[in-house]
Amino acid sequence: MDININWGLIWPIIALQAILAVTGFISLYKAEPASIRGSKWMWVFIILLGNILGSVAYFVAGRREA
Amino acid sequence: MKSFWIYYQKEMTEASRTYKWIWVPAIFLLLGIMQPVSTYYLPEILSMAGEVPPEAAALFTVPSAESVMASTLGQFNIIGLLVLVLAGMNTVAGERSTGTAELVLARSVSTIPMMTAKWAAMITLMVVSFALGLGGAAYYTYQLIGPLDWAAVTGGAGLYAVWLAWIVTLLLPLGAILRGPAAAFISLAVAGALSLLSSLLPSHVQWSPGRLGGMAAEQILGSGSISWSPILVAILIMAVSIIVAARLLRRSPLSPQS
Repeated sequence: MDININWGLIWPIIALQAILAVTGFISLYKAEPASIRGSKWMWVFIILLGNILGSVAYFVAGRREA
Repeated sequence: MKSFWIYYQKEMTEASRTYKWIWVPAIFLLLGIMQPVSTYYLPEILSMAGEVPPEAAALFTVPSAESVMASTLGQFNIIGLLVLVLAGMNTVAGERSTGTAELVLARSVSTIPMMTAKWAAMITLMVVSFALGLGGAAYYTYQLIGPLDWAAVTGGAGLYAVWLAWIVTLLLPLGAILRGPAAAFISLAVAGALSLLSSLLPSHVQWSPGRLGGMAAEQILGSGSISWSPILVAILIMAVSIIVAARLLRRSPLSPQS
């Protein structure tokens, strides 16, 4: 199957996904463990596997208000 | 006016510390870009899935540039609105549950500049994210599918921004009496109910701000005219919400649970 995919169109999507995930990881890394709901590793997997919605879930529900 | 700017800067700092200035615009931009790209590649995606006979896939025609933009608004309506409301639900409710509100209100300050600053900060984030998302969608649609009527797109975008703005504003008074998630749920429910009502009974609720979302899509599609009453009602709702929220916060600076 030869599908002509123009990668110039696709890379911004991948880059944005990566920005979301990396921002999530930085925020997780810096956070005090007590300020995170559940374990940090759980959120790493949710962000990695959940694409956009995983990152949204982390940013919305992952952190307790300081 | 001076205290407004102080509160506004505080809200902006807080939003960037909680990474809102990264993830909210990123999600809008993703939603905006993905709609034209996935429409453009739909025949390939269908044939890759393998379940569709090639004849059926060949029948698929790429929709017009206008309808791709209108369906992008549909995407913003589902995920975009959810993201905005979830990002904004703790602007007031969070300060009550952490006690910040009580601390600030221990001094006899007016809550009006504080509320207006919160509102302005939320709207700034919303406008920037939405403009990025729709701009991305328009650029990709223009490159992949075809030319757009820029005046119609700008008009539709303006209407849609008012639609998003009044729903997000509802979070302020709701957050002053409820906890964050409850406030988020109720404002989404109100938005859904009003928009359903205006699609079921369009002639009865001419003035309903629930029409704004549909009006924006029609505007982009090049049909339909702008009526001003829903816009005026939405602006009125925003003004009343800010004042009511300021009053309510003064009366109950603490969350019931804390």
